[in-house]
Amino acid sequence: MKFRAQMKDPLYMREFQNIIATLSKLSKDCLMILGAQQMHLIVNEDQSSTSSPLVWVSIAATEYFPEYVMEAAHPDQDYIVLIMSSANLGRALSFLRGGGANSCKLKLQRIQFPCISVACSLLSTSSTEARDVLYDVPVTIIPASDWPTYVVPRVPPSQLALVLPSLRLLRSLIDKLKNMSPSLEFQANSDGELNVVATSEMSTVTSRFKRLLPRFLSADNDREASCLVDSRKASAFFTALQLANEELTIAIDREHSIHLQIDVRKDVMLHSILPAVCA
Amino acid sequence: MDSPSYSDYKFVGRVDHVKTFNTAIKSICFNDYAVLHISDEGLRITVEQGRSIQATLFMPPGAFTEFHVQDFQSFGLKLNDLSECLNLFGSADCSIRIMYKDQGECLYLILYPYDDEDVSTECAIKTMDCEEPIDHDMNLKDPDLNVIFARGPNLYKIFHELDKSAEEFEFITSPDSPYFKITTVGVLQAVFSVEVAKTSSMMMMFNCRQTVTARYKSQQIRLTNKAMQAATKVAIKTNSIGLLELHLVIQGEGQEEIFVQFYVIPLLNSVD
Repeated sequence: MKFRAQMKDPLYMREFQNIIATLSKLSKDCLMILGAQQMHLIVNEDQSSTSSPLVWVSIAATEYFPEYVMEAAHPDQDYIVLIMSSANLGRALSFLRGGGANSCKLKLQRIQFPCISVACSLLSTSSTEARDVLYDVPVTIIPASDWPTYVVPRVPPSQLALVLPSLRLLRSLIDKLKNMSPSLEFQANSDGELNVVATSEMSTVTSRFKRLLPRFLSADNDREASCLVDSRKASAFFTALQLANEELTIAIDREHSIHLQIDVRKDVMLHSILPAVCA
Repeated sequence: MDSPSYSDYKFVGRVDHVKTFNTAIKSICFNDYAVLHISDEGLRITVEQGRSIQATLFMPPGAFTEFHVQDFQSFGLKLNDLSECLNLFGSADCSIRIMYKDQGECLYLILYPYDDEDVSTECAIKTMDCEEPIDHDMNLKDPDLNVIFARGPNLYKIFHELDKSAEEFEFITSPDSPYFKITTVGVLQAVFSVEVAKTSSMMMMFNCRQTVTARYKSQQIRLTNKAMQAATKVAIKTNSIGLLELHLVIQGEGQEEIFVQFYVIPLLNSVD
């Protein structure tokens, strides 16, 4: 079993750090599925609190890592599957935040226990010599027999999807709406209008977002779709987001779920699923 | 909801910048329910706690960019809901349209943030019938009131520094020294007092005809803190039995003025 990856571009290192920071705000544990061409990072709905939603990120290895080597334990296997503390991984990568990093290497190795070693080479203003910071993040290796429970989630089907150009207002709105109502209804129509409705005992608050770009997904071009979700889950997702990207795709699977997607790059995508709740 | 035809609505009002209105509402948000009165004179929102403190926010038609009202409208609602709705966009500036159709109908607030013209939020707040608040104004019509006008920021500083652990505050207003004095008696009988001379630069007007000494619950005086913090001018009025009126002026960026009045009933004199 072998895994090694290296990043060199400061922009990509910053993005990768932001992705990990987002995940570490959502859940204690982070699942890492390493494929030959792709890295998947998954945080499940947290058992300890019901408020964090399922979030996962799929990264095309070639996009971020000029050097990426993955050899599974057996030649007939396609993956390495690891679980680690998302807070530890977040801390290991926090050195990339300042932007003064030269390179960052990730390597799976066994010291006394299996771990992902994160080695960052940092430039400092006071010295010409680079400073190396090594951080070992303990991991649990999931044996192939258990893999069926650890799969990359699939994007759910949806009747209607809208692209929201800016997250800022929606983010602060949802943060306020969660105090008013335990559930939020997302209503979308093919004219590019998204309504977020919060209903409480004494008031109804409807936020309208107009002139959004619709993305039709189902064959029978649906005119309208709506779904009721847990407002704390929705808020947890938006509060945790650390990415600079502002564009969000909201896809609604009527009465089942809402799929949120942020395209960080062409082949780097962050997804979340907010399951439907009963009114 | 598109621009309304006014004949359908008993009240339509528009405010260009929600910030001052929001600050004013927050400053009287100390109880769940409030009563709204709308007439040609303006919009009045009254909150009471028990029967001993009352706060009224008053917006004259001049504080609105648009103000249309038919007859006299009066209804109750949950003040917290109103405050939360005004605060939905946080620090982002918005304009707001307020509409009310008729008795039993919801009060509609529509917020339009300036940052994004494709976004708007419509709030429907259920209204209810409400008991009329006490009219304290009647008791403060006497000609022999003690009246002091002071600069808001200075007075806020004085109120802010009052002993927070004290149960009661004593106010003295008098034509002679000490003119204006606040005394607090805290736990362990620690006494703290502030005196403001009538010649002080924070006094804008000083007109006291008699010496009035009255005690108030400190907790009630502290309810005025948020309003005091935002006020530019404060009028302090008391009648001979110590009924206290704090009349505050909150000024918006566009120089429009919103008034907040507090009436505080004095404590009975202890027999000693």
